[in-house]
Amino acid sequence: MDAAFLSDLRHIVGHEHVLDDALELLTYECDALPHLRETPAAVVLPSSAAHVQAIVRLCARHGVPFVARGHGTGLSGGALPVAGGLVIALARLNRVLDVDIPNQRVTVEPGVTNLEITKQVAPFGYYYAPDPSSQQVCSIGGNVAENSGGAHCLKYGFTTHHVLGVEAVLPDGEFIHIGGTLADTPGPDLLGLLIGSEGTLAIVTKIIVRILRRPEAVQTLLAAFDTIDAGGAVVSDIIGTGIIPAAIEMMDALAIKAAEAAVHPNFPPADTVLIVELDGPASEVSALFEMVKEICALRQATSIEVAQDDAQRARIWRGRKAAFAAMGRVSPNYYVQDGVVPRTKLPEVLNRIRQLEARSGLRIGNVFHAGDGNLHPLICYDERVPGEADKAVEVAAEILTYCMDAGGSLTGEHGIGADKSQYMPKMFTAEDLALMQRVRAAFDPRGLSNPGKVFPTPRLCGEVPGPYRQHPVEGAGLAERL
Amino acid sequence: MATPATPKAALLQPQTPEALAAALRAASAQKQSIVIRGAGTKMDWGRPAGRIDAFLETRGLHKILAHAHGDLTATIEAGASLADVNAALATHGQWLPLDPAFADRATIGGLLATNDSGPLRHRYGTPRDLVIGVQIATADGTLAKAGGQVVKNVAGYDLGKLVTGSFGSLAAITSATFKLSPLPKASKTLVVSVDSDARLGEIVRQMMASQLEPLAFEFSSGTVARSFQGRDRGGPERAALLIKFASLPTVVDAQVAQARALLQPLAASIDVVDGDAEPALWREHNARMWAAPCALSAPVENVAIVRASWLPSAVTTALAELVTMGAPIDLVGRAAVGAGLLRIGGDTATQARVIARLRQSASVGNIVVLRGSDALKAAVDVWGPMGDRERLLASLKHALDPRNTLNAGRGPL
Repeated sequence: MDAAFLSDLRHIVGHEHVLDDALELLTYECDALPHLRETPAAVVLPSSAAHVQAIVRLCARHGVPFVARGHGTGLSGGALPVAGGLVIALARLNRVLDVDIPNQRVTVEPGVTNLEITKQVAPFGYYYAPDPSSQQVCSIGGNVAENSGGAHCLKYGFTTHHVLGVEAVLPDGEFIHIGGTLADTPGPDLLGLLIGSEGTLAIVTKIIVRILRRPEAVQTLLAAFDTIDAGGAVVSDIIGTGIIPAAIEMMDALAIKAAEAAVHPNFPPADTVLIVELDGPASEVSALFEMVKEICALRQATSIEVAQDDAQRARIWRGRKAAFAAMGRVSPNYYVQDGVVPRTKLPEVLNRIRQLEARSGLRIGNVFHAGDGNLHPLICYDERVPGEADKAVEVAAEILTYCMDAGGSLTGEHGIGADKSQYMPKMFTAEDLALMQRVRAAFDPRGLSNPGKVFPTPRLCGEVPGPYRQHPVEGAGLAERL
Repeated sequence: MATPATPKAALLQPQTPEALAAALRAASAQKQSIVIRGAGTKMDWGRPAGRIDAFLETRGLHKILAHAHGDLTATIEAGASLADVNAALATHGQWLPLDPAFADRATIGGLLATNDSGPLRHRYGTPRDLVIGVQIATADGTLAKAGGQVVKNVAGYDLGKLVTGSFGSLAAITSATFKLSPLPKASKTLVVSVDSDARLGEIVRQMMASQLEPLAFEFSSGTVARSFQGRDRGGPERAALLIKFASLPTVVDAQVAQARALLQPLAASIDVVDGDAEPALWREHNARMWAAPCALSAPVENVAIVRASWLPSAVTTALAELVTMGAPIDLVGRAAVGAGLLRIGGDTATQARVIARLRQSASVGNIVVLRGSDALKAAVDVWGPMGDRERLLASLKHALDPRNTLNAGRGPL
């Protein structure tokens, strides 16, 4: 990166907001997927949309690849820097610009945290629905990039269902405004395309979201089962009865043990627990909740704990939401995958994962969004043991194969990023990927915006290749690049 | 008012996605102009078509490819009609909860291409909110998919969204996978009349602030026209609201009672409609803009029908502004979404003037002319300004349909 470029950057944002010291860059080497690391040439911290535009224009002029970064909580390496490239860290764009309660809309900058939106509107009885487990720290801009979900998206949908409009900077540095406070922007749904495009099409600088009225009633239960099949059957029975709970979460014995060790949610020692939450009008919740309890009893639940108040509900959810971090209590390292299966295939796929666990010798905890079949296998390994990290990646790859066999997806909410790009050909044909690349090239013909993500490398067309590093999966001969 | 085809326009009726893609490739190679057609219910929407060499009809692709009822998903070919699909899904107590215009005939492909929706949007959103995967054919004959078969999936670009609302200008939709919903066990509809626009606005505000969860929340204001004409045809109503609750029978009754208590002080009258009368009421409501002249004296073929949006809290202001437009205007819409249809009477010059004024308005926006005479469509910008999206839209059109094979210039791109 030449001195003139850095000097121009400093001119845009001020000297102290451009980092190029090796120590300072360390923080930005990876997101929450730490086994993929890359050192960027520099990091820039804009504080306004105008800054972002000026920075992107500069990158376009110099042909410098750039990676937008929110709060670095992504689990797929979506914010992994590009060697020789720039990281545009959006943490300082953290203003709440407008709260419009009567129209149920909030306008924010991308660095605002997901939970901050709810905090802003909670006093009025409203909340922002998508609730990724990292919601206390993750940025709304990152949520838009990844189309983040969360435990409650079973009933309420994903980020794409809650964003009404964005302002964004295209890879050539031009602003674009899509959607807004009013519904029905004419033309194709560019907003739907942009949300979940993992920073490869544009950098979002302003976001208008819709907020929801708090439901009149919420009921939550924790049910324990002796087998994973029984838990899976309950999920199918609930949906089959025509009930759409706000959330159905499942945890297995290892995940329960880890959560107990970390945050003491007082879960029963069981093979499988389910958390089922219903919300809505009080009369509806009480009627349907009885039906859910009956279904659990019919499937031989060994215990059913009903949350009697918000404190008890919070304790149950703490056990669930802390589960990822809690794996540190039972394993030095773990690797999370995010595959999806049709919910009716859950028992079959979970049993395959258990067989794999026995065969591989690596423990696999399962904590996941059962209602929509979104698995989060936590593969435990010890990086100090030679070969174990590679084996964990192998195991993860095999689990993704099970998801593909079941007609599912590589990722439900974490994104493809750098982590799973090499598996894209498992899910999409060369024609599918080439068409997506054509769309990408319409936004970013030079491939400057977050290159090396989503699509398998080397490029199909229009994609600037990132530095080649052999992935452990390739080393093991388990996968090859296109 | 079907799109005028040049006399020699051919009719292509592929029976498989592969044949459809091949037909597109052949047409594109010969630099033909193709219009994709489902049931043809919305062919007059958008700009008048330019030269059309062939219609590519999707009705040969009418199968439900999969109904995974345990997973609440279905994969459906583009030419299947929504009505047929919902009849089949109902055997498992499920539905694709959409009620677009001409819902009795509209096809899956057509409703995605137009992203058309109706009152059910209040609860379920528009087609773009329910589509989870697509197979599409581009003009060069590429047959590709995006999304998937599962309700939760963020792998790759969501091209199903991109073709939604594109009016067949980017690619042909051959099939789509949708998230389904369970059919409600029971429902009732409150019909609420109000005697002032201010009270209508207050009802919208109070309903939105309440914890009631209706399935649909509509209003119609046919009396805008009346007040313009300076005479009241009797009855105190200035607007009517339709509020539908659907759930278990006891829950519906509880919600209806709560809503009644909330709205009693504001309403001129409240009636509860259930049984067979309820679906009939909604059919009539949905058809009203497109068929019966209602308060308008103009014959139906002379009215302009436009899409419009507004801030839900600004409905009273919007209605007050419509009264000043100098033309009879009806408004039907989703009260809490702030989206619906305007029907504009008067002659072409008047309609054009109203549309120009609507585009300047601070209280309504996103005006798109759906139905209107060719003269009107020649006089106004049918789709309205695309703003700073225009360049990107052109770039996308060029990327997917470089020879301009699709859509015959009807728009939006």
